[in-house]
Amino acid sequence: MGKLFDWFDSRFAVKAPHRRFFERSIPPNLNYTYCFGGIAFTYFLILVLSGLLLSIFYVPSEKEAYKSVVMITNDIPFGWLIRGVHKWSASLFIIFIILHAIRVFVSKAYRPPRELNWVIGTSIFVIAMASGFTGYLLPWDQKAYWATEVGTSMVGTIPLIGKSLMYMIGGGSEVTGTTLIRFFSLHVLFLPLMIGILLWLHFHIVKRQGISTNL
Amino acid sequence: MDRRNFLKRVVKLFFLSLNLSLIIIISYLYPSKIKQKRLLNIYVTDEEFLPKKGIKRFEYSFDKDGERVTNFVFIKRDEEGLTAFSPFCTHLGCLIRWNNIHKEFICACHGGRFDKEGNVIAGPPPRPLERMPIEIKDGKVFLGIKA
Amino acid sequence: MKTFKSEKRFYPDYLSEIIFSILIALELLLVLVLIFPPEVGRQIDFSKPFQPLPEWYFLWLFELVSYFPGNLMFIGTFLIPLSCILLLLLIPFLDKGKYGRIKAYIAGSAVLLVFCLFTILSLVE
Ligand code: FES
Repeated sequence: MGKLFDWFDSRFAVKAPHRRFFERSIPPNLNYTYCFGGIAFTYFLILVLSGLLLSIFYVPSEKEAYKSVVMITNDIPFGWLIRGVHKWSASLFIIFIILHAIRVFVSKAYRPPRELNWVIGTSIFVIAMASGFTGYLLPWDQKAYWATEVGTSMVGTIPLIGKSLMYMIGGGSEVTGTTLIRFFSLHVLFLPLMIGILLWLHFHIVKRQGISTNL
Repeated sequence: MDRRNFLKRVVKLFFLSLNLSLIIIISYLYPSKIKQKRLLNIYVTDEEFLPKKGIKRFEYSFDKDGERVTNFVFIKRDEEGLTAFSPFCTHLGCLIRWNNIHKEFICACHGGRFDKEGNVIAGPPPRPLERMPIEIKDGKVFLGIKA
Repeated sequence: MKTFKSEKRFYPDYLSEIIFSILIALELLLVLVLIFPPEVGRQIDFSKPFQPLPEWYFLWLFELVSYFPGNLMFIGTFLIPLSCILLLLLIPFLDKGKYGRIKAYIAGSAVLLVFCLFTILSLVE
Protein backbone atom coordinates (compact mmCIF):
# COMPACT_ATOMS: atom_id res chain seq x y z
CA MET A 1 0.00 0.00 0.00
CA GLY A 2 0.91 3.65 -0.22
CA LYS A 3 3.86 5.22 1.52
CA LEU A 4 1.71 7.32 3.79
CA PHE A 5 -0.24 4.31 4.94
CA ASP A 6 2.94 2.34 5.58
CA TRP A 7 4.27 5.18 7.71
CA PHE A 8 1.04 5.18 9.65
CA ASP A 9 1.01 1.40 9.94
CA SER A 10 4.58 1.19 11.21
CA ARG A 11 3.49 3.32 14.17
CA PHE A 12 0.02 2.04 14.92
CA ALA A 13 0.16 -1.46 13.48
CA VAL A 14 -3.41 -1.45 12.23
CA LYS A 15 -2.78 -3.82 9.36
CA ALA A 16 -1.69 -6.99 11.09
CA PRO A 17 -4.63 -7.48 13.44
CA HIS A 18 -7.11 -6.89 10.63
CA ARG A 19 -5.37 -9.08 8.10
CA ARG A 20 -7.35 -12.11 9.22
CA PHE A 21 -10.55 -10.25 8.72
CA PHE A 22 -9.65 -8.89 5.31
CA GLU A 23 -8.13 -12.03 3.92
CA ARG A 24 -10.45 -14.62 5.39
CA SER A 25 -12.09 -16.82 2.84
CA ILE A 26 -15.75 -16.44 2.19
CA PRO A 27 -18.11 -19.39 1.77
CA PRO A 28 -18.64 -19.98 -1.94
CA ASN A 29 -22.41 -20.36 -2.11
CA LEU A 30 -23.43 -16.86 -1.12
CA ASN A 31 -25.75 -14.91 -3.35
CA TYR A 32 -26.76 -11.29 -3.47
CA THR A 33 -29.48 -11.72 -0.84
CA TYR A 34 -26.61 -11.85 1.64
CA CYS A 35 -26.10 -8.16 0.93
CA PHE A 36 -29.40 -7.02 2.42
CA GLY A 37 -27.93 -6.57 5.88
CA GLY A 38 -25.00 -4.62 4.48
CA ILE A 39 -27.31 -2.39 2.47
CA ALA A 40 -29.39 -1.71 5.58
CA PHE A 41 -26.18 -0.71 7.34
CA THR A 42 -25.33 1.60 4.45
CA TYR A 43 -28.66 3.33 4.89
CA PHE A 44 -27.99 3.63 8.60
CA LEU A 45 -24.73 5.43 7.87
CA ILE A 46 -26.49 7.73 5.42
CA LEU A 47 -29.14 8.40 8.06
CA VAL A 48 -26.48 9.37 10.58
CA LEU A 49 -24.73 11.66 8.15
CA SER A 50 -27.84 13.40 6.81
CA GLY A 51 -29.27 13.60 10.33
CA LEU A 52 -26.13 15.35 11.57
CA LEU A 53 -26.43 17.82 8.72
CA LEU A 54 -30.10 18.46 9.41
CA SER A 55 -29.44 19.06 13.09
CA ILE A 56 -27.33 22.09 12.17
CA PHE A 57 -30.38 24.05 11.01
CA TYR A 58 -33.24 22.37 12.81
CA VAL A 59 -34.53 24.12 15.94
CA PRO A 60 -36.35 21.79 18.35
CA SER A 61 -38.80 24.26 19.82
CA GLU A 62 -42.52 24.69 19.57
CA LYS A 63 -42.25 28.06 17.90
CA GLU A 64 -39.29 27.54 15.62
CA ALA A 65 -39.50 23.92 14.55
CA TYR A 66 -41.93 24.36 11.68
CA LYS A 67 -40.19 27.50 10.41
CA SER A 68 -36.79 25.84 10.48
CA VAL A 69 -38.07 22.87 8.50
CA VAL A 70 -39.56 25.23 5.91
CA MET A 71 -36.23 27.02 5.78
CA ILE A 72 -34.28 23.80 5.34
CA THR A 73 -36.56 22.69 2.55
CA ASN A 74 -36.90 25.96 0.64
CA ASP A 75 -33.99 28.27 1.38
CA ILE A 76 -30.88 26.33 2.21
CA PRO A 77 -28.96 25.07 -0.82
CA PHE A 78 -29.55 21.33 -1.18
CA GLY A 79 -31.62 21.39 1.99
CA TRP A 80 -34.44 19.59 0.21
CA LEU A 81 -31.97 16.95 -0.90
CA ILE A 82 -30.63 16.30 2.59
CA ARG A 83 -34.15 16.13 3.98
CA GLY A 84 -35.30 13.84 1.21
CA VAL A 85 -32.30 11.59 1.66
CA HIS A 86 -32.94 11.38 5.39
CA LYS A 87 -36.61 10.62 4.93
CA TRP A 88 -36.18 8.04 2.21
CA SER A 89 -33.22 6.24 3.68
CA ALA A 90 -35.28 5.79 6.86
CA SER A 91 -37.93 3.94 4.85
CA LEU A 92 -35.33 1.96 2.94
CA PHE A 93 -33.55 1.13 6.20
CA ILE A 94 -36.74 -0.49 7.50
CA ILE A 95 -37.41 -2.27 4.21
CA PHE A 96 -33.93 -3.75 4.08
CA ILE A 97 -34.02 -4.81 7.70
CA ILE A 98 -37.19 -6.75 6.88
CA LEU A 99 -35.61 -8.27 3.76
CA HIS A 100 -32.49 -9.15 5.72
CA ALA A 101 -34.59 -10.81 8.42
CA ILE A 102 -36.43 -12.85 5.79
CA ARG A 103 -33.12 -13.91 4.25
CA VAL A 104 -31.77 -14.95 7.67
CA PHE A 105 -34.96 -16.84 8.36
CA VAL A 106 -34.97 -18.69 5.06
CA SER A 107 -31.31 -19.66 5.30
CA LYS A 108 -31.87 -20.85 8.90
CA ALA A 109 -29.05 -18.60 10.07
CA TYR A 110 -30.82 -17.90 13.37
CA ARG A 111 -30.11 -21.41 14.63
CA PRO A 112 -27.67 -22.08 17.46
CA PRO A 113 -25.14 -20.69 18.11
CA ARG A 114 -26.60 -17.58 16.46
CA GLU A 115 -29.81 -17.14 18.48
CA LEU A 116 -28.52 -14.11 20.29
CA ASN A 117 -27.71 -12.32 17.08
CA TRP A 118 -31.29 -12.81 15.96
CA VAL A 119 -32.46 -11.25 19.21
CA ILE A 120 -30.10 -8.31 18.74
CA GLY A 121 -31.27 -7.86 15.17
CA THR A 122 -34.90 -7.83 16.24
CA SER A 123 -34.12 -5.23 18.89
CA ILE A 124 -32.46 -3.06 16.27
CA PHE A 125 -35.57 -3.38 14.16
CA VAL A 126 -37.84 -2.30 17.02
CA ILE A 127 -35.59 0.64 17.90
CA ALA A 128 -35.46 1.65 14.26
CA MET A 129 -39.26 1.78 14.22
CA ALA A 130 -39.19 3.87 17.40
CA SER A 131 -36.74 6.24 15.69
CA GLY A 132 -39.16 6.53 12.82
CA PHE A 133 -41.99 7.36 15.20
CA THR A 134 -40.06 10.01 17.13
CA GLY A 135 -38.62 11.51 13.96
CA TYR A 136 -42.07 11.84 12.45
CA LEU A 137 -43.05 14.51 14.98
CA LEU A 138 -40.06 16.76 14.41
CA PRO A 139 -41.34 18.73 11.37
CA TRP A 140 -44.15 19.85 13.71
CA ASP A 141 -46.89 20.07 11.10
CA GLN A 142 -50.48 18.84 11.08
CA LYS A 143 -49.61 15.33 9.95
CA ALA A 144 -46.87 14.99 12.52
CA TYR A 145 -48.93 16.41 15.34
CA TRP A 146 -52.00 14.25 14.94
CA ALA A 147 -50.11 11.06 14.17
CA THR A 148 -48.15 11.56 17.37
CA GLU A 149 -51.28 12.46 19.33
CA VAL A 150 -52.82 9.16 18.25
CA GLY A 151 -49.57 7.28 18.84
CA THR A 152 -49.00 8.54 22.37
CA SER A 153 -52.67 8.02 23.22
CA MET A 154 -52.21 4.43 22.13
CA VAL A 155 -49.43 4.08 24.68
CA GLY A 156 -51.84 5.51 27.23
CA THR A 157 -54.27 2.62 26.75
CA ILE A 158 -51.85 0.00 28.07
CA PRO A 159 -53.38 -1.39 31.27
CA LEU A 160 -51.97 -0.20 34.62
CA ILE A 161 -48.77 1.52 33.53
CA GLY A 162 -50.10 3.08 30.32
CA LYS A 163 -50.81 6.56 31.62
CA SER A 164 -47.51 6.94 33.47
CA LEU A 165 -45.65 5.58 30.49
CA MET A 166 -47.39 8.10 28.27
CA TYR A 167 -46.41 10.97 30.59
CA MET A 168 -42.88 9.64 30.64
CA ILE A 169 -42.58 9.49 26.86
CA GLY A 170 -44.54 12.58 25.94
CA GLY A 171 -43.94 14.72 29.00
CA GLY A 172 -47.65 15.31 29.58
CA SER A 173 -51.15 14.22 28.76
CA GLU A 174 -51.16 15.74 25.29
CA VAL A 175 -48.62 16.59 22.63
CA THR A 176 -46.91 19.89 23.43
CA GLY A 177 -43.55 21.57 23.11
CA THR A 178 -42.29 19.30 25.89
CA THR A 179 -43.11 16.29 23.75
CA LEU A 180 -41.23 17.83 20.86
CA ILE A 181 -38.07 18.29 22.91
CA ARG A 182 -38.29 14.79 24.35
CA PHE A 183 -38.79 13.25 20.95
CA PHE A 184 -35.93 15.30 19.57
CA SER A 185 -33.60 14.03 22.25
CA LEU A 186 -34.74 10.44 21.78
CA HIS A 187 -34.49 10.66 18.02
CA VAL A 188 -31.13 12.35 17.89
CA LEU A 189 -29.26 10.98 20.90
CA PHE A 190 -30.73 8.00 22.71
CA LEU A 191 -32.02 5.81 19.91
CA PRO A 192 -29.12 6.22 17.44
CA LEU A 193 -26.68 5.51 20.24
CA MET A 194 -28.58 2.36 21.13
CA ILE A 195 -28.70 1.25 17.50
CA GLY A 196 -24.99 1.97 17.18
CA ILE A 197 -24.06 -0.18 20.14
CA LEU A 198 -26.36 -3.00 19.07
CA LEU A 199 -24.99 -2.89 15.52
CA TRP A 200 -21.47 -3.14 16.80
CA LEU A 201 -22.47 -6.24 18.79
CA HIS A 202 -24.30 -7.61 15.76
CA PHE A 203 -21.23 -7.36 13.55
CA HIS A 204 -18.89 -8.53 16.25
CA ILE A 205 -20.85 -11.74 16.62
CA VAL A 206 -20.87 -12.29 12.86
CA LYS A 207 -17.11 -11.85 12.84
CA ARG A 208 -16.72 -14.37 15.65
CA GLN A 209 -19.04 -16.98 14.27
CA GLY A 210 -18.40 -16.52 10.57
CA ILE A 211 -21.03 -16.31 7.90
CA SER A 212 -23.69 -18.94 8.22
CA THR A 213 -23.80 -21.55 5.48
CA ASN A 214 -26.71 -23.60 6.66
CA LEU A 215 -28.50 -23.23 3.38
CA MET B 1 -15.26 -16.75 53.82
CA ASP B 2 -11.81 -15.93 52.65
CA ARG B 3 -10.61 -12.62 51.41
CA ARG B 4 -11.02 -13.49 47.79
CA ASN B 5 -14.65 -14.58 48.03
CA PHE B 6 -15.39 -11.53 50.06
CA LEU B 7 -13.95 -9.28 47.37
CA LYS B 8 -15.99 -11.08 44.73
CA ARG B 9 -19.09 -10.31 46.71
CA VAL B 10 -18.08 -6.68 46.99
CA VAL B 11 -17.71 -6.41 43.25
CA LYS B 12 -21.12 -8.01 42.72
CA LEU B 13 -22.70 -5.71 45.26
CA PHE B 14 -21.19 -2.72 43.54
CA PHE B 15 -22.71 -3.64 40.20
CA LEU B 16 -26.03 -4.43 41.80
CA SER B 17 -26.13 -1.08 43.53
CA LEU B 18 -25.64 0.62 40.17
CA ASN B 19 -29.21 -0.38 39.41
CA LEU B 20 -30.33 2.07 42.04
CA SER B 21 -29.48 4.86 39.66
CA LEU B 22 -32.43 3.63 37.61
CA ILE B 23 -34.76 5.02 40.25
CA ILE B 24 -33.09 8.40 40.01
CA ILE B 25 -33.22 8.32 36.22
CA ILE B 26 -36.90 7.45 36.16
CA SER B 27 -37.87 10.14 38.62
CA TYR B 28 -35.75 12.59 36.66
CA LEU B 29 -37.52 11.72 33.43
CA TYR B 30 -41.02 11.73 34.89
CA PRO B 31 -42.57 15.09 34.07
CA SER B 32 -42.42 17.07 37.29
CA LYS B 33 -45.69 18.84 36.92
CA ILE B 34 -48.17 17.15 34.69
CA LYS B 35 -49.69 20.46 33.83
CA GLN B 36 -52.11 21.50 36.49
CA LYS B 37 -55.13 22.32 34.43
CA ARG B 38 -57.16 25.33 35.41
CA LEU B 39 -60.70 25.94 34.35
CA LEU B 40 -60.76 29.06 32.23
CA ASN B 41 -63.91 30.92 31.29
CA ILE B 42 -63.66 31.97 27.72
CA TYR B 43 -65.93 34.09 25.63
CA VAL B 44 -67.08 32.20 22.54
CA THR B 45 -69.85 34.09 20.86
CA ASP B 46 -72.98 36.15 21.44
CA GLU B 47 -76.24 34.55 22.37
CA GLU B 48 -77.95 35.67 19.18
CA PHE B 49 -75.64 33.49 17.09
CA LEU B 50 -76.56 30.31 18.93
CA PRO B 51 -78.75 27.90 16.98
CA LYS B 52 -82.45 27.95 17.82
CA LYS B 53 -82.47 24.21 17.67
CA GLY B 54 -79.74 21.80 16.67
CA ILE B 55 -75.95 21.77 16.69
CA LYS B 56 -73.49 24.39 15.50
CA ARG B 57 -69.76 24.66 15.45
CA PHE B 58 -68.02 27.68 17.01
CA GLU B 59 -64.43 28.71 16.83
CA TYR B 60 -62.76 30.50 19.67
CA SER B 61 -59.25 31.66 20.53
CA PHE B 62 -57.47 32.24 23.76
CA ASP B 63 -53.99 32.91 25.07
CA LYS B 64 -52.07 30.02 26.51
CA ASP B 65 -48.54 30.60 27.77
CA GLY B 66 -48.31 33.70 25.62
CA GLU B 67 -49.49 31.92 22.48
CA ARG B 68 -52.73 32.33 20.65
CA VAL B 69 -54.53 29.01 20.38
CA THR B 70 -57.57 28.54 18.19
CA ASN B 71 -59.93 25.71 18.89
CA PHE B 72 -63.57 24.91 18.33
CA VAL B 73 -66.57 23.53 20.14
CA PHE B 74 -69.98 22.12 19.23
CA ILE B 75 -72.91 23.79 20.93
CA LYS B 76 -76.30 22.11 20.95
CA ARG B 77 -79.61 23.66 21.90
CA ASP B 78 -82.81 21.72 22.45
CA GLU B 79 -85.63 21.44 24.99
CA GLU B 80 -83.17 20.66 27.76
CA GLY B 81 -81.15 23.76 27.10
CA LEU B 82 -77.52 24.22 26.06
CA THR B 83 -74.86 21.55 25.84
CA ALA B 84 -71.27 22.02 24.71
CA PHE B 85 -69.33 19.09 23.30
CA SER B 86 -65.56 18.96 23.24
CA PRO B 87 -64.28 18.31 19.71
CA PHE B 88 -61.75 15.70 20.84
CA CYS B 89 -62.69 12.10 20.10
CA THR B 90 -62.65 9.98 23.25
CA HIS B 91 -60.83 7.20 21.42
CA LEU B 92 -57.36 8.51 20.65
CA GLY B 93 -57.89 12.24 20.60
CA CYS B 94 -58.53 13.19 16.96
CA LEU B 95 -60.84 16.08 16.11
CA ILE B 96 -64.41 15.22 15.19
CA ARG B 97 -66.78 16.69 12.59
CA TRP B 98 -70.55 17.25 12.76
CA ASN B 99 -72.47 15.75 9.88
CA ASN B 100 -75.69 17.66 9.57
CA ILE B 101 -77.29 15.26 7.09
CA HIS B 102 -76.97 12.11 9.15
CA LYS B 103 -77.17 14.09 12.40
CA GLU B 104 -74.07 12.54 13.90
CA PHE B 105 -70.50 13.38 14.91
CA ILE B 106 -67.86 11.63 12.85
CA CYS B 107 -64.24 10.97 13.74
CA ALA B 108 -62.28 10.28 10.59
CA CYS B 109 -59.37 8.63 12.39
CA HIS B 110 -60.83 5.19 13.01
CA GLY B 111 -64.43 5.77 12.05
CA GLY B 112 -65.85 6.60 15.47
CA ARG B 113 -69.42 7.97 15.38
CA PHE B 114 -71.49 9.70 18.04
CA ASP B 115 -75.14 10.70 18.05
CA LYS B 116 -76.33 14.21 18.85
CA GLU B 117 -76.31 13.45 22.57
CA GLY B 118 -72.64 12.54 22.29
CA ASN B 119 -73.19 8.82 22.79
CA VAL B 120 -71.14 6.33 20.83
CA ILE B 121 -73.09 4.71 18.01
CA ALA B 122 -70.29 3.08 16.06
CA GLY B 123 -66.57 2.56 15.99
CA PRO B 124 -63.98 2.17 18.70
CA PRO B 125 -64.48 5.15 21.07
CA PRO B 126 -64.91 3.89 24.64
CA ARG B 127 -66.84 6.83 26.15
CA PRO B 128 -69.44 9.38 25.08
CA LEU B 129 -68.16 12.80 24.04
CA GLU B 130 -66.96 15.02 26.82
CA ARG B 131 -69.24 17.89 27.78
CA MET B 132 -67.91 21.28 28.69
CA PRO B 133 -69.46 23.74 31.12
CA ILE B 134 -71.28 26.52 29.32
CA GLU B 135 -73.16 29.57 30.54
CA ILE B 136 -74.73 32.76 29.25
CA LYS B 137 -74.02 36.07 30.92
CA ASP B 138 -75.53 39.32 29.58
CA GLY B 139 -76.12 37.80 26.20
CA LYS B 140 -72.58 36.47 25.93
CA VAL B 141 -71.73 32.78 25.82
CA PHE B 142 -68.86 31.63 28.02
CA LEU B 143 -67.22 28.25 27.81
CA GLY B 144 -65.29 26.55 30.59
CA ILE B 145 -62.17 25.02 29.12
CA LYS B 146 -59.35 23.22 30.81
CA ALA B 147 -55.99 24.70 29.88
CA MET C 1 -12.27 -20.71 11.17
CA LYS C 2 -13.41 -23.09 8.49
CA THR C 3 -11.60 -23.10 5.18
CA PHE C 4 -13.44 -23.48 1.95
CA LYS C 5 -12.50 -24.89 -1.37
CA SER C 6 -13.13 -21.71 -3.25
CA GLU C 7 -10.44 -19.11 -3.25
CA LYS C 8 -12.85 -16.30 -2.61
CA ARG C 9 -11.44 -13.83 -0.15
CA PHE C 10 -13.12 -11.01 1.68
CA TYR C 11 -10.74 -8.55 0.08
CA PRO C 12 -11.01 -7.87 -2.79
CA ASP C 13 -13.48 -10.43 -4.16
CA TYR C 14 -16.25 -10.06 -1.66
CA LEU C 15 -15.65 -6.41 -0.87
CA SER C 16 -16.04 -5.43 -4.50
CA GLU C 17 -19.39 -7.17 -4.60
CA ILE C 18 -20.41 -5.32 -1.47
CA ILE C 19 -19.39 -2.02 -3.00
CA PHE C 20 -21.38 -2.88 -6.10
CA SER C 21 -24.54 -3.42 -4.05
CA ILE C 22 -23.89 -0.27 -2.03
CA LEU C 23 -23.79 1.69 -5.29
CA ILE C 24 -27.13 0.22 -6.29
CA ALA C 25 -28.54 1.12 -2.89
CA LEU C 26 -27.38 4.71 -3.27
CA GLU C 27 -28.84 4.91 -6.72
CA LEU C 28 -32.18 3.61 -5.51
CA LEU C 29 -32.17 6.24 -2.77
CA LEU C 30 -31.35 9.11 -5.10
CA VAL C 31 -33.97 8.09 -7.63
CA LEU C 32 -36.60 8.02 -4.90
CA VAL C 33 -35.56 11.42 -3.56
CA LEU C 34 -35.61 13.02 -7.00
CA ILE C 35 -38.98 11.54 -7.91
CA PHE C 36 -40.58 12.27 -4.54
CA PRO C 37 -38.84 15.30 -3.06
CA PRO C 38 -39.82 16.16 0.52
CA GLU C 39 -42.76 18.46 1.06
CA VAL C 40 -43.56 20.77 3.90
CA GLY C 41 -46.79 19.87 5.63
CA ARG C 42 -49.45 22.30 6.77
CA GLN C 43 -48.96 24.23 9.97
CA ILE C 44 -50.62 22.90 13.11
CA ASP C 45 -54.17 24.17 13.33
CA PHE C 46 -56.59 23.07 16.02
CA SER C 47 -59.60 24.45 14.24
CA LYS C 48 -59.48 21.97 11.38
CA PRO C 49 -60.09 18.26 11.78
CA PHE C 50 -57.25 16.35 10.23
CA GLN C 51 -56.97 12.75 9.23
CA PRO C 52 -53.51 11.75 10.40
CA LEU C 53 -51.46 9.24 8.49
CA PRO C 54 -48.43 7.65 10.09
CA GLU C 55 -45.34 6.30 8.34
CA TRP C 56 -46.12 3.28 6.20
CA TYR C 57 -44.57 0.85 8.67
CA PHE C 58 -47.06 1.95 11.35
CA LEU C 59 -50.12 1.71 9.14
CA TRP C 60 -50.90 -1.79 10.40
CA LEU C 61 -50.94 -0.59 14.02
CA PHE C 62 -53.10 2.32 13.02
CA GLU C 63 -55.53 -0.03 11.31
CA LEU C 64 -55.53 -2.50 14.20
CA VAL C 65 -56.89 -0.04 16.75
CA SER C 66 -60.10 0.48 14.83
CA TYR C 67 -61.14 -3.16 15.36
CA PHE C 68 -61.16 -3.07 19.14
CA PRO C 69 -63.82 -0.81 20.60
CA GLY C 70 -64.23 0.44 24.14
CA ASN C 71 -62.49 -1.47 26.86
CA LEU C 72 -60.88 -3.92 24.47
CA MET C 73 -58.75 -1.12 23.09
CA PHE C 74 -55.56 -2.39 24.67
CA ILE C 75 -55.71 -5.57 22.57
CA GLY C 76 -55.07 -3.60 19.43
CA THR C 77 -52.72 -1.04 20.88
CA PHE C 78 -50.68 -3.28 23.10
CA LEU C 79 -51.39 -7.01 23.18
CA ILE C 80 -51.10 -7.76 19.47
CA PRO C 81 -48.03 -5.59 18.82
CA LEU C 82 -46.31 -6.98 21.88
CA SER C 83 -47.01 -10.57 20.91
CA CYS C 84 -45.71 -9.84 17.42
CA ILE C 85 -42.42 -8.63 18.86
CA LEU C 86 -42.22 -11.57 21.27
CA LEU C 87 -42.95 -14.08 18.52
CA LEU C 88 -40.17 -12.56 16.42
CA LEU C 89 -37.73 -12.65 19.31
CA LEU C 90 -38.58 -16.24 20.15
CA ILE C 91 -38.13 -17.70 16.67
CA PRO C 92 -34.70 -19.23 17.38
CA PHE C 93 -35.98 -20.77 20.60
CA LEU C 94 -39.12 -22.18 18.99
CA ASP C 95 -36.99 -23.93 16.43
CA LYS C 96 -36.21 -26.93 18.62
CA GLY C 97 -37.06 -30.59 18.24
CA LYS C 98 -38.68 -32.45 15.42
CA TYR C 99 -41.22 -29.88 14.29
CA GLY C 100 -39.06 -26.93 15.22
CA ARG C 101 -38.70 -25.52 11.74
CA ILE C 102 -42.44 -25.70 11.17
CA LYS C 103 -43.11 -23.89 14.44
CA ALA C 104 -40.64 -21.22 13.46
CA TYR C 105 -42.28 -20.92 10.07
CA ILE C 106 -45.68 -20.46 11.66
CA ALA C 107 -44.40 -17.78 14.04
CA GLY C 108 -42.50 -15.89 11.36
CA SER C 109 -45.23 -15.96 8.77
CA ALA C 110 -47.88 -15.04 11.36
CA VAL C 111 -46.03 -11.82 12.15
CA LEU C 112 -45.42 -11.07 8.49
CA LEU C 113 -49.06 -11.84 7.69
CA VAL C 114 -50.39 -9.50 10.39
CA PHE C 115 -48.06 -6.79 9.16
CA CYS C 116 -48.94 -7.15 5.48
CA LEU C 117 -52.64 -7.85 5.91
CA PHE C 118 -53.40 -4.82 8.05
CA THR C 119 -51.15 -2.57 6.01
CA ILE C 120 -53.08 -3.54 2.90
CA LEU C 121 -56.41 -3.19 4.67
CA SER C 122 -55.57 0.36 5.72
CA LEU C 123 -54.44 1.22 2.20
CA VAL C 124 -57.63 -0.13 0.71
CA GLU C 125 -59.78 2.27 2.69
S1 FES D 1 -59.55 8.80 17.48
FE1 FES D 1 -61.64 8.95 16.97
S2 FES D 1 -62.03 6.93 16.31
FE2 FES D 1 -59.97 6.77 16.93
